[in-house]
Amino acid sequence: MTLVAEAFVDWGWIGDNLDEIWDKVAEHLVLTGIALGVGLAISLALAALALRFRRSYTPITWMTGTLYSIPSLALFAFLVPITGFTTLTAEIGLVSYTLLILIRNIVAGIDGVPPDIKEAAVGMGYGRLRLFFEIELPLALPVIVAGMRIAAVTTIGLVTVTALIGKGGLGFFILRGLQRFFSTVGSTEILIGTLLSVVLAVIVDVGLLLLERALTPWARRKVA
Amino acid sequence: MVSPVSDAMIRLEAVTKQYPGTMTPAVDELSLEIPEGEIAVLVGPSGCGKTTTLKMINRLIEPTSGEIVVAGERVTEMDQSELRRGIGYVIQQIGLFPHRTIAENIATVPKLLGWDKARTNERIDELIDVVQLEPEMRDRYPAELSGGQRQRVGVARALAADPPVMLMDEPFGAVDPIVRSALQDQFLDLQHRLNKTIVLVTHDIDEAIKLGDRVAILNVGGILEQYAPPSDMLREPANAFVADFLGSDRGLKRLGLLPIRNANLEMGPVVAPTAHPQDAHRVMEQYGVDWFAVAEGKRLLGWAPGTALETAPDVRSIPLQPYRTRIDVGSTLKEALDAVVSSRAPMTAVFDGDDYLGMLSADRISREIVQ
Ligand SMILES: Nc1ncnc2c1ncn2[C@@H]1O[C@H](COP(=O)(O)OP(=O)(O)OP(=O)(O)O)[C@@H](O)[C@H]1O
Ligand SMILES: [Mg+2]
Repeated sequence: MTLVAEAFVDWGWIGDNLDEIWDKVAEHLVLTGIALGVGLAISLALAALALRFRRSYTPITWMTGTLYSIPSLALFAFLVPITGFTTLTAEIGLVSYTLLILIRNIVAGIDGVPPDIKEAAVGMGYGRLRLFFEIELPLALPVIVAGMRIAAVTTIGLVTVTALIGKGGLGFFILRGLQRFFSTVGSTEILIGTLLSVVLAVIVDVGLLLLERALTPWARRKVA
Repeated sequence: MVSPVSDAMIRLEAVTKQYPGTMTPAVDELSLEIPEGEIAVLVGPSGCGKTTTLKMINRLIEPTSGEIVVAGERVTEMDQSELRRGIGYVIQQIGLFPHRTIAENIATVPKLLGWDKARTNERIDELIDVVQLEPEMRDRYPAELSGGQRQRVGVARALAADPPVMLMDEPFGAVDPIVRSALQDQFLDLQHRLNKTIVLVTHDIDEAIKLGDRVAILNVGGILEQYAPPSDMLREPANAFVADFLGSDRGLKRLGLLPIRNANLEMGPVVAPTAHPQDAHRVMEQYGVDWFAVAEGKRLLGWAPGTALETAPDVRSIPLQPYRTRIDVGSTLKEALDAVVSSRAPMTAVFDGDDYLGMLSADRISREIVQ
């Protein structure tokens, strides 16, 4: 066991490159955060459109579904001639992949708000906007956050692919490691990149779960 | 603009609702007037248009034709949200906001109306008290309450901004019969103090009779079969449908509405302690019983079997047994009848507190029904 580990892991390299590792973790988080934030904003707008005009829901899911099904490598390859080796290129791709999941969850969450609660609100004089922001959105939160968690974990994985266009966060180590695969440093880099990426995904997932708990105290306190 | 108005708080004029894609109207040319401070109950079989009628009053549903006037204004000419904020609304499924505490739920309309914090808080405390919830429930979420408690919160929420008009769709529907009966009593109690104009929907005819100053019986297709105070309706149902809907125990139900206070009490086989044994024999014969009771002024001293007279020299010296079949004058004739049939005595003694007033027999009660 130790032998194997020593053959693949260069502990010294890790110690010497802590700063760079930390930088890439930060980059990874920033790329993910922007993708989720922008994705959520676009999804909310599109979901609101779909909820207001039911007929638009099918084309919206069809479009975002198509985006979702494009292989990520192909998408970046297609974008580079247009937007170059930039963060914008990375984010266009990353955001595209969050839309389907987020829109579906927002619409499902809001559709799942019991009609009697909406009727009570309207019957007491709530307008459309107030109903959406004060009743529907908060009640849909658990379903929306569930979508955010899936989108977050997916995005954290996808960020590594953007290493190919010069971004990539922890994907940078994986890509460089592949280029010098047969050295201990190479395998160490691949291992570090992969491992930290997984750890990030788990931390963000648990973080969102805790956020949901904090935002929806009413959903847990039940009598029986 | 001034609308032609009667003094009714709510007036429906030939209101019809036909849902798109349906063959027959859900509500058909319905006209009703609800005087200020009264409870009108809409009752009828499932699907007869009760909820539809109610929702047309606060414009959750727009009528196909006809006119609805609330407090002298045509609802179609009022701003929707403003109209609704001025009408207390309790929906069929309660519809509390699960993400808001009890206090926040109650504060819904005050918040929409822009009340300040202090006034809202004061009102919340007041209402929690009014609907008899515990103050510590203030900060709980709806999921942490029982069905009956939730229903009370629903009523409190509707009352929050003290609206003159309340619409209540089966407000006590989701609880068991015992809790329901308690809630109904509380509700009546409350109404005696608040004097709201209320339209209440139910499919329980007993609830309608108990709560309504007037009852509207609707038939499938939204047809009004009869609109009358419950005791009038029970005495004289307009047609076979109404009679059938009121049930075969119509007479008994009517007894439940008649207070003993308004009935003619009987003397009964009762004598004074100073009476001669002969008098006792006479009243026993008159009422066809083999016992007699002794009363002194407003005190009922007790009763004794007729055989006791054989050995005693006078009425005063006869040992009496306490008269146990008794009822308060504040009760209904139905309760009096129940007292009679569930005891062995053929008559119940009627009291006002400790004061003896007279007797009621099953015979006497049945004569009260037809009056
Ligand atoms: N949105 C709608 N579209 C079409 N038909 C409707 C709609 N809402 C109600 N109806 C129909 O109108 C009729 C009256 O419905 P309503 O809900 O007023 O009945 P209800 O008397 O309240 O019944 P329940 O006692 O079951 O609550 C029913 O036949 C119902 O199917
Ligand atoms: Mg109904």
